[in-house]
Amino acid sequence: MSIIIDGNTRVVVRGITGKEGGYWTEKMQAYGTQIVAGVSPGKGGATVSGIPVYSTVEEALREHTADASMLFIPPRAVKDAVLADLAAGIRTVVVTAEGVPLYDALEIRRAALALHATVIGSNTTGVISLGKAAMGFFPYWIERIYRRGNVGVMTRSGSLTNEVTAEIVKAGFGVTSIVGVGGDSVTFTRFAELLPLFEADPETHAVVMIGEIGGSMEEEVASEIAAGRFTKPLVASLGGRTAPAGTRMGHAGAIINGSSGTVQEKIRVLQAAGAMIAERPSAIGGLLRSVI
Amino acid sequence: MQLFEYQAKAIFLAAGIPVPQGCLVQDPAELANVLQNTRYPCVLKAQVLYGGRGKKGLVKLVQDASEALAEGKRIMAAASCQLLIEDAAEIAKEIYVSVTVDPVLGELVVMVCGEGGMEIEQVAQTQPEALVKLHLPVDGNLTLGAAAEMLCKIGLDADLAASGAKILGTMFRLARENDAELVEINPLVVTKRGEWLACDGKFILDDGALFRHPEWVKTRAYFKSDREYAAYQAGFPYLQFDGDIGLMVAGAGLANVVYDMVHDFGGTVASYLEFGGPNYHKGRQCMDFMLAGKPKVVLIVSYGTIARVDVMARGIAESLHENRPAIPIVCVLRGTNEEQAEDILGGLGLYFFRESEDGVRKAVALAAGEGTK
Repeated sequence: MSIIIDGNTRVVVRGITGKEGGYWTEKMQAYGTQIVAGVSPGKGGATVSGIPVYSTVEEALREHTADASMLFIPPRAVKDAVLADLAAGIRTVVVTAEGVPLYDALEIRRAALALHATVIGSNTTGVISLGKAAMGFFPYWIERIYRRGNVGVMTRSGSLTNEVTAEIVKAGFGVTSIVGVGGDSVTFTRFAELLPLFEADPETHAVVMIGEIGGSMEEEVASEIAAGRFTKPLVASLGGRTAPAGTRMGHAGAIINGSSGTVQEKIRVLQAAGAMIAERPSAIGGLLRSVI
Repeated sequence: MQLFEYQAKAIFLAAGIPVPQGCLVQDPAELANVLQNTRYPCVLKAQVLYGGRGKKGLVKLVQDASEALAEGKRIMAAASCQLLIEDAAEIAKEIYVSVTVDPVLGELVVMVCGEGGMEIEQVAQTQPEALVKLHLPVDGNLTLGAAAEMLCKIGLDADLAASGAKILGTMFRLARENDAELVEINPLVVTKRGEWLACDGKFILDDGALFRHPEWVKTRAYFKSDREYAAYQAGFPYLQFDGDIGLMVAGAGLANVVYDMVHDFGGTVASYLEFGGPNYHKGRQCMDFMLAGKPKVVLIVSYGTIARVDVMARGIAESLHENRPAIPIVCVLRGTNEEQAEDILGGLGLYFFRESEDGVRKAVALAAGEGTK
């Protein structure tokens, strides 16, 4: 199994007529992802890599059935697109754009919560279920990074995903699904909300969490583990332990939740809950070997 | 984008929130002139964007003109900043009020606390019950009744709560109108005459929404150094530190981890230039900029997906052929088209590694004086 997407997921791609969108759509398709349609305002009637393009998601869904929407569009266009996709009944959306306006992001987060939809992003490389399907930017052809196995990965950082996943593979393991929750300050899906999915996936035997300084997502994971709602081994790699303070969102997020947002505090609560901490990416393999 | 206190207060004043009477001194040479029209005691406040001004001696209550002149000059020299001079408030009570975002619920949150002027993060951790919160959707409205109820909960009488509610309502409106991450008044003061006064102001705008607010432009004043400002204008995030190793790293997450490793292995960081995202096309410019900062060693780390390392390498090579730097350069370039990257950079005397950790160890050793090129 895998989480969020697999070979049966039917995907609509927004921004398919763009250079980047077109390039990665071909890659996603070549990996086995079912791309059923593209959506680009004003480009209805076109075809990209054999995929029919529609001007609106409603038009696309009149001709096709879709479960998920992949967004390769600029940050300012994201809110309207996500709300339209949700209104059209799509319940899985991946947003790659970086820098979605904060208040737009709040509206998206609220809509996703209300509808129990899985909106991933923003500022993410996406979601990949190894050997099955990918939504986003994944150089799955690099074998020392992308190998199927039994470790789930969730990450705030696109740049660290390759670094960390390569360590998992080097240690002799592989990956079930990688979910990039994204690097913008309001993430539409939070780490803790992915835990039930990994918990329910029989092929996922352990989870690696790539977190960092700021916010409270790692603390929320610690609470879930402490409450017994996530029972599989979890290894956390957290960047920014020695970084000077001043990360975006550290302030507001910290006040609201009463957490400090520092890596030291995240490590403290995660360890207290029973999670393992990898001091550096190279320590992840050894920790996984001790539990799988 | 965080605004300066004087800018936050100008927004408050224009919206009808009372602030102390004051004036801004831009140049120490104007100080003596301005102080002739000042009432005493007054407060001198450094206009800087970092916190803890009081502890750093950058906020000072002064009693007369000669003290004001001496302290004003000292503060402006110490922080090389503008100075806000304000009438000292006669404080009867101080509270904390803010409007910010809650990323968990996807809503705005209004917070008030009866303990004003303190470090609110501290209060939130040690006595969370002292913080009264109200969540509202982004398109919601803060009614006067709801705001007054919050203020009653922190112990204000009905009259003060009613007048203070208007301030909260205005702050909520200002947050929405300006796409603010944070609008905070700490302390919001009740004077001995029973009037409200915003004695501090913090206003942080969302960078992602600045296109809706063209009136706000990041000038040199918002940056710590000329180099950080120059990098901003050139379009790449850049942070200046005071150590040895200049980091060019693709992606903030990877940069955090590399930064940790440098410190763990006994090194120090001179600067960090964000080389990822769209900047991988700017290899020439980024490398030129990095070399101009004169670090002892340059460490380049990437594990790129979209950011192709062959493209990075071409830009770097161009810069190195031009600049012929004497300092050692360590490369950990992996990801899309990694094989080509080493060919492109071959013959330039660089150190190549496949593991970040090995690259960091080498950079730290080189910075400590190991070998010469």
